[in-house]
Order: sequence, then C-alpha cells, then structure tokens
Amino acid sequence: MTEPLLEVRDLRVGFQTEEGLLTAVDDVAFTLESGKMMGLVGESGCGKSVTARTLMRLLEQPSGRVLKGEVLLEGRDVLTLPLEAMRRIRGKEIAMIFQEPMTALNPVHRVGRQIVENILLHQEIGANAALKRAVELMEWVGIPAPDERINDYPHQLSGGMRQRVMIAMALSCNPKILIADEPTTALDVTVQAQILDLIKRLQKDTGMAVILITHDLGVVAETCDDVAVMYAGRIVERGPVETVFRSPQHPYTKGLMGCLPRLDHPPKTMLPIIPGMVPGLRDLPDGCRFAARCPNPHGDEVLTERQPWKDCGGGHGVEACACFAKTL
Amino acid sequence: MHYPVRGGVFRRTRQVCKAVDGVSFALEEGETLGLVGESGCGKSTVAKSVVRLLKPTAGNIVFEGQDITKSGAGDLRRFRREMQMVFQDPAESLNPRHTIGQILEEPFVIQKLGTTAERGEWSADLLRRVGLPEDARNRYPFEFSGGQRQRIGIARALALKPRLIVCDEPVSALDVSVQAQVLNLLLELQQDFKLAYLFIAHDLSVVQHMSDRVAVMYLGKIVELAPAVELYRNPRHAYTKALLDAIPEADPSRRRERRLLKGDVPSPINPPEGCAFGHRMSHPRWQESVGMDLRLRELAPGHWVQPCPCCVG
Repeated sequence: MTEPLLEVRDLRVGFQTEEGLLTAVDDVAFTLESGKMMGLVGESGCGKSVTARTLMRLLEQPSGRVLKGEVLLEGRDVLTLPLEAMRRIRGKEIAMIFQEPMTALNPVHRVGRQIVENILLHQEIGANAALKRAVELMEWVGIPAPDERINDYPHQLSGGMRQRVMIAMALSCNPKILIADEPTTALDVTVQAQILDLIKRLQKDTGMAVILITHDLGVVAETCDDVAVMYAGRIVERGPVETVFRSPQHPYTKGLMGCLPRLDHPPKTMLPIIPGMVPGLRDLPDGCRFAARCPNPHGDEVLTERQPWKDCGGGHGVEACACFAKTL
Repeated sequence: MHYPVRGGVFRRTRQVCKAVDGVSFALEEGETLGLVGESGCGKSTVAKSVVRLLKPTAGNIVFEGQDITKSGAGDLRRFRREMQMVFQDPAESLNPRHTIGQILEEPFVIQKLGTTAERGEWSADLLRRVGLPEDARNRYPFEFSGGQRQRIGIARALALKPRLIVCDEPVSALDVSVQAQVLNLLLELQQDFKLAYLFIAHDLSVVQHMSDRVAVMYLGKIVELAPAVELYRNPRHAYTKALLDAIPEADPSRRRERRLLKGDVPSPINPPEGCAFGHRMSHPRWQESVGMDLRLRELAPGHWVQPCPCCVG
C-alpha cells in the first residue's frame, strides 16, 4: 500500500485553563489521500477547528497543548518538526483559508502585496515575477480585471471576492493540502455555490487534497469524497460520503441528518430533534459522549468506557456504542 | 424605505439608498409569511419598518385596520403589545447586566402591568413555556448557550401576548441540532397562541419549512410571492430559481451540475432601472423591463410574480 499524503494518529489536544486541562480533541484519527476532499463536520465546539489548527501547528498559545498522537505528512511527523522547518511547510505544503476573509486579510495592505508576500517567502523568484504570478493567480480564481484589483485594499472587495483572494494566496505555492475552515459560512448561498465550485475546480486542476471544515451537511454532500463526523472532540463516524449519507450508523449522525429542514418536506411540520445540548468540555463522560442525548437506552458501562471503533467495510467506520452495535 | 447618502463639505444628500422600494404584502392571523433573500436585499429593513423601529419614507403599515405609519411614541407603545420582535443574535439583544428575570419582566414594567409578585409569576410561566427551568430567572445571559438565549428572546417576545412576532434570522446563529429545537418551539407557540409570524431568513430551506407563504426579495423589491410548496415546486422568477439551485442538498445521490450565478448582489445605492436581476444577468431582454410596470402580477391563484420579460419566461 502506498503511503497516504496525510495520516493523523490518535491525536489528542487540550487547553490549559484556570479550571485545569480541558481536552478539546480526543484520539482523533484519519487519513487523507491526495486529490481527495474530506469533509469534517460537527457543531460548534466539537473540535473540528482545533484539529485543523493542530495540523498547521497554529494552536492558540500558550494554553494549547498536543497531548498525544502524530500528524504524518508524507511520513514526517509535523508535530515534532523544528519551528524553522514547520515554517517552510506552512503555506507551502499545507495552506489554510478561514471563515471570515476580512479578518484573515491585513486591512492596511493592498491584496496584491499580500499574495506576493507568500510567493516571495517560499519561492526563489524576483519581485516582478512574483507580481506577475499574483495577477495570474487572481485570474485563475476568477477575479475580474485582476491587474486593477491587485491594487485594491480588502475593504474595497466584496465578501466573495475576498475569499477568492484568500484562495489565490493559499494556492500560490501549489500546496499539497488545502485546509478550508468554514470557507463559505459568511457568504450568501449564491456566492457560496461559486466558491465551492471554484475550490472543486482548482482541486481537479492541481490534484491537491482538501479538508473542508463545515457545520453544513449539504455542503459536504455536494462537494466531498469522504466525511468525518465529530461530536464532543471525537470522530464518531467516517467514511465515503455516499455510504455515510445513505446508511448512517451512529445515532448522532442520524440525528444530525434528520433534523435538517428540507425543501421537499411539507412546510410547518415538526422536525425530528436531538434533545438537550452538546456537553461542555468540563463534564465530558469517559464513555460514549452522545449517550445523554441518544434515543437508544444505555447500560452504565457505556458511560464509563470508551466504546470501540468498528469497521463497517468500504472505508466506513463508526464508534460502535453498545446501544446500537448489535445492529451493525 | 429610502436612506439619504450624504457626502461633501455641506453633507448634502448626494445619493439615495433605496433599501426597500415598493414592497407590499398582507399577513393574516395565525399565518407565517416567510421573507427570503441575500444580504443587503432589504429583508431586515422590512422587519424593522413593520414593527415601526424605522419610519418608512413612503407607504402605509396597517395593523388590524389602523394605520400606524405616522403614529407617535404613545400610540406605538400600545401597538407594541400586539407586535414583538425576535432578533438574530440573542447575545446582543439581551442586556448582559440584567438577570433573565429582569429581562422578562421589563415588558410588563414598560406597559405598567401587574404587581411585582405577578410579574415574577408571569416570567416563570414564560420560562416554562419555552422549555427553560424556572431558576433561570436569577441568572445572567452569559450563563446560557446560544440556543437557550434564543429561547429567552422568544419568551420576552411572548410576554405581552402579542398577535404578531417578527422573527429576524432567529436561527441563523444556531447549530443545526439547536436550530431544529427552536424551529419546533416557534411552530408550537404559533399553534397555541394563534400567532402570526413574519419570518425572515437567508436560508430558503428554513423559510420554506416555517412558512405558509414565501416572498423572495431582491435588491429592495419582492420579485415573487407564493404559497411555500408552490414556490418550491413551481418557481417562476429567474432569481427564485437561482436561489433554489444554489442550496446545497444533504443528499449526495442528488448531486448535480448547478447553473452558477455570476457576480455579487449589487448595491442598493443607485440601483439599475427596470428589473435589477435581469440587469445583473445582462439578460438580452432586460432593456424591455425599463419603464415597465413591474408591480407583482398574479400568474396563478396566490402566486404573484414581478412580470419582467427577462426573468419570467
């Protein structure tokens, strides 16, 4: 078997707070092949962004700690690399785009200069060549009249155009992996469709892998090859998008899919709901973290022991809580 | 609703921002009218005008037969018992220094209703009604999650037993599992209290789920208004079709090639003449819509569409 592009093994990340060490990501594991798009979905606080930031070594300091695990990029563990070496990877081999391009872009610099900065940092070319490359990149991501827009400041661009600038910047060094953290959440649906289409097209052109972090199951269903569903710091289910959406196994995945309002359902009918709310990081059970909200009845052992991971075949796997494991 | 855009040394009005332009609709008792559109289309301006947090530049707002467009503060206080609002961000619309009890009793205090003991009782009832524990009264907004804060916002809107609640993006700040809980609560309350809702959201699937009828807004105008099911099954205006097309569906087996809209939502300052959407799409027949009477026309029973030649084939 060939080595995967990215392999995350037993990653555990915590934050040192006044109330002690809180674990935000608990034994997360997945692999990403090149040319694939993986969706990481879950509700706020489930640890999806913390996972992404850990891959980039951008954890909030000094409180953020990697407690355990490895992140292997083509076999090298990026978590143990010296900072200098990490700086060469960040932006060049793994690039990231964020939810709110207005806060991710520097408001007092022209967008062209911000794209050029990244090129000059990672590639040995002259300033003029870098500028030319920036214009090409802007054209590539669908910014009209790029040789004029390159002199604009971020506030002169619309939200969709700003996100395109972010993407141009992220792709300037042909990264192997693009991490997109809620890239379309701040955008209108019609602009969201444009940006998702753009990311897919660029992925096809370059063969890069994409990790798409989102809370929107619709976005995952329409764009991703694989999906990992996170709940309270753990991946509870993962697999190919078609399989997971056709036959979700974990009660949380099922609940999440069931509670979406759908256009083809009759209006003004009650939605199936997941009762209660996501537990806080302070009072997480050791066992199945979904137990308190789960419709299935539980035994006590479910709450005290971590439930085993079960492979369902075809790359589909699930944290098989005793409450439903018999039916697998 | 027009805003002057001032500029220059003497702050003269240079341009006019037509945030909402020529919008008309009616809302029945117990009915939900959904209002959907992209950011900047004027949906929130409509919401605020309806409850008279804004004073419209022209037109009338008639509530139970009475014109409240020009009402002064005293009259409005009376009407606000009947019409309330739920806001998008429950964290910003609840005073962080007040306890939940104070927040829920404030409507009674303003309207001079009840004794202190009665107000306390009423606020406890409200909390129970929206699914929160009674002891929440002594706690502060920051102690609650986003979903719970939105329940508090809804409880406050219910306090005076209104007949109309304007919900401005009530679930867009919430996670999907919490969104479903709040949507269900709103549906239950509507049945129990025969409430009318003006329900505003940018998410068409949420609006469709909550509404009897849906109005689609584009650049300050309603371009299509129809019963919810009809709008989804048989959209007539090109913008409604584009909006429906852009919604990602949580079903990978129905993945499809989308027709992507080009460009961004244009600015409502100096909007184009004629049909704004035809203009954005550079439709060959857009020119015909300039100077036309673009008021909504009823193409099928209850199905109203802006009759421009470029967007309605």
